[in-house]
Amino acid sequence: MVTSSRLVTILCFAIAIAGVIPIFAWLELSPRLVFAAGLLIGILQEFKGRWHLKNWQFNLILVPVFIWYTLQYSSSNPIHPVVSVLVIMLAARLAGEKSIRNLMQVNLLALFCLASRSLFDLSPSFLVWLALLLLLVPVSLVLLTFHAQDGALTFTRKEVRRVALSALLMTLLTLPAMAILFPILPRTAFPLWTFLNQPTSGSTGMSDKVEPGAVASMAESAALAFRAEMEQQTTPPYWRGTVFNTIQNSRWSRNPSVPSETSVPAGKQVSQIIYPEPSASKILIGLDAAAEVALPSVRVSPDAVFDYPRGLGKRVGYKVRSGTGGLLRTSKMINLNFYLRLPAELSPQIRQLAEQIKKTGKTDQERLELAEQHFLNGGYRYSREGLPTGKDAIHQFLFVSKQGHCEFFASSLALLLRTAGVPARLVGGYLGGEYNQIGGYYLVRQDAAHVWVEAYIAGKGWVRTDPSRFATNAGAVWNIKQKLSLAARLRLLADTLDYRWNRSVVSYDFERQVSQLRSAGSKLQTLEQAIKSRWRWALLVVSGLLLLFLLRTLRLHRFCCNQEEQLLRRFRQVLKKRFGETLVTENKGLFEIAIATNDEQVQQFAVIYAAAVYQDRKLVRDEVRQLSKLLDQLAEADKIC
Amino acid sequence: MDISPTVKPVSVLVNTLCSHHLQGKDEVVRLAVIAMLSGGHILIEDLPGLGKTTIALALAGATGLSFGRVQCTSDLLPADITGLSVFNRSEGNFSFIPGPIFNNIVLLDEINRAMPRTQSAMLEAMEERRVTVEGTTHQLPDPFMVFATQNPSDQSGTFLLPESQLDRFLICTGIGYPPEELERSIISTGGIRERIAGIAPLVSVSEILPARRTVSQDIYLSDKVIGYIHALVKATRNHPLIQIGLSTRAAISLAQASRAAAFLAGRSYVAPDDVKGIASAVCAHRLVIRAGQTTDRGELLREIISSIPLPLV
Repeated sequence: MVTSSRLVTILCFAIAIAGVIPIFAWLELSPRLVFAAGLLIGILQEFKGRWHLKNWQFNLILVPVFIWYTLQYSSSNPIHPVVSVLVIMLAARLAGEKSIRNLMQVNLLALFCLASRSLFDLSPSFLVWLALLLLLVPVSLVLLTFHAQDGALTFTRKEVRRVALSALLMTLLTLPAMAILFPILPRTAFPLWTFLNQPTSGSTGMSDKVEPGAVASMAESAALAFRAEMEQQTTPPYWRGTVFNTIQNSRWSRNPSVPSETSVPAGKQVSQIIYPEPSASKILIGLDAAAEVALPSVRVSPDAVFDYPRGLGKRVGYKVRSGTGGLLRTSKMINLNFYLRLPAELSPQIRQLAEQIKKTGKTDQERLELAEQHFLNGGYRYSREGLPTGKDAIHQFLFVSKQGHCEFFASSLALLLRTAGVPARLVGGYLGGEYNQIGGYYLVRQDAAHVWVEAYIAGKGWVRTDPSRFATNAGAVWNIKQKLSLAARLRLLADTLDYRWNRSVVSYDFERQVSQLRSAGSKLQTLEQAIKSRWRWALLVVSGLLLLFLLRTLRLHRFCCNQEEQLLRRFRQVLKKRFGETLVTENKGLFEIAIATNDEQVQQFAVIYAAAVYQDRKLVRDEVRQLSKLLDQLAEADKIC
Repeated sequence: MDISPTVKPVSVLVNTLCSHHLQGKDEVVRLAVIAMLSGGHILIEDLPGLGKTTIALALAGATGLSFGRVQCTSDLLPADITGLSVFNRSEGNFSFIPGPIFNNIVLLDEINRAMPRTQSAMLEAMEERRVTVEGTTHQLPDPFMVFATQNPSDQSGTFLLPESQLDRFLICTGIGYPPEELERSIISTGGIRERIAGIAPLVSVSEILPARRTVSQDIYLSDKVIGYIHALVKATRNHPLIQIGLSTRAAISLAQASRAAAFLAGRSYVAPDDVKGIASAVCAHRLVIRAGQTTDRGELLREIISSIPLPLV
């Protein structure tokens, strides 16, 4: 047994906690402390005794707090003051008297607090807290209605369960409405949370230059780069991002004025949807090599690099169609000079090696193979530590230390190729990634960033070649099919949830609404055509029958199920008009009314109507007609009078 | 089904009695006929000189039924009502001389003046419809109906009927003074006692018995009306002023009387109106008001009835 006041107070604490916990991490220290104090005072007061401060006194205290935070408000700091005031108000209500009004305010403030969470971050855990509040608040509201009637009301365990169940039912009933509203509600083009908190740019990973020898060792970042929804590939996929086409000293960078060329990715066509994590980058990643990226206002360079001028600051998803042959076919000659430019200083040993390759190989294809042979037989190791540094890092790597990461491999191969007269460029992107079987997508982290080489073979086009895989320990670094541990699998599962949330809630925008509508429209069109060609007549007949059936049931519903009620309602209305309000009440029988009115038609109505109703049979059509006619006559007579 | 052939003689009886012989006593006549049709008994509670006896006599005369009268006094013995065995000298054996109860209509005048012993003997006969005297059981005639009267104001030397025995009367009603106009004409013409003796029978037993059968068997009582009756009974049980509400027997009686009322109205089904119209007469005397309450039972019941919505759909 528990009193209603105790019950609603406990619930109100629970709701307040559930509302504030989600934003607690973002709160400043003072609101945190005030909230904790308010909660503590509230609990002590509920279980120990009454607090002597009145509500208006609390309100008075809130005024300076409010003014203080109003002064704090600025366009650069718009959220914190508002949220702090919310939390402090909630704390004051928790500590104050628990009148019905205050309890309602606690419910509302807690909901606002939770809602403000979306200003900081919108992760799936928001949904969990929202669900919790959606369950607790209706229970609290239902209990409050009891409480409003009688504060000393007591509940047994069973009754509490019933109240909770009915509240749960209320919540469940709203679910269909939510499901309907979610896809059709309009969206803002700029989600509030990303607009207010511009995400920090991608930490490591793909960079805008390749400069081997700049650092001695490289840190790995396990942060997520992007997800790619597609079928699993047999080999680790290459994700093409940008192209570095210019070398200055030992630094490769991208010259934005790319000489024009027409390149078409060759090989099996694969479609995928890429969901990059928000970052400051503007480069769109795609499976090597992307032929088409379906995103409005995308810029494509001649070397098949896709740019998104709006930036990837907010969550987007885009569809990419790629050819997976590792070859970009070119139909006409490219600007050879541009791709053969060498740095001013070149180590003589490299030049010597290149000359050797140039002499031995008759064609560019052979020269490329020779250069690859050099890496394959040279005993190079892949490593992220103990890297050669300095200006002659490439020379060091090629002839002395023979260990480095992909940047060393790729830039030295490209340099070698260019020196040997084969046009070459570096490609920056990602290699591999974890395939999530549950979600059906590749999970690519920043540490999968990779650089490889594209060499131009006349008559063929740009051929992808990755010297890193010629390293002696390449097998150990890539292509490892290790069995997933339970933790890893759980991690993948959690990532699936996160992915679904981002896909279906966060990045759900107007474009997608339109595309869904459009696809529905096109499906309807194809259906229409199919119908037109074959099933026209059958469909006409069936729809006609359906319509008839519908009409019939509606009619039956109208005239059978509620017929008596309808007639009675009309009877009452007519009599009220004609004989006054007092005559027709719930507690008067039909015959009683008939005698009181002393009217022939009323009597007839009573006789016909009662004969059906009190013999437990439905009115037949003829009787209905008769009754309606009588009512018409009565109404007419009234007009004449 | 068509019940008009059976209804007709009975309605003629009621109409003739009301319009020609018992002016201003329509309601009592109707109730008496309802009691007769549903095989119950009627208790008329009113002051002397308002025509209680006249009604009983007129009903007996108009139906052509035999009539017996018992004037109850405190020294009345059960044998005075039931009859007794007398030694027949010529035949040399005891022969049973039936008392006044062996009539179709029996008037028990001022029943509260009889001793409880006599009262209970009479009431037992009313319930059982047979009398056992000296080991021999004698069936009472059919139809059998008791017209009991009691004088509520004169309380000295009376034995109030206990609730359990009041329950045996299907209907309990008063008569009331006639309207002014009517009373004047009654004063001018004098009583009708003498004329009643000359009433020609309007219905016969052969018409009354089928009518009774129709009432008990052919009048339809729908679930809605049963629900209404039940709601009414339940309301009396939960009422704060009432100590003992209506019994199941009371509900049965109400249903029976409602059937008879519907029959009289010429309908083959019971409408809630029938129940409502008769409920006060059938039920009021069965209620036991809480001690210290002075509310009139009839008023209270009417109040309860008016608070229950009628099933109209």
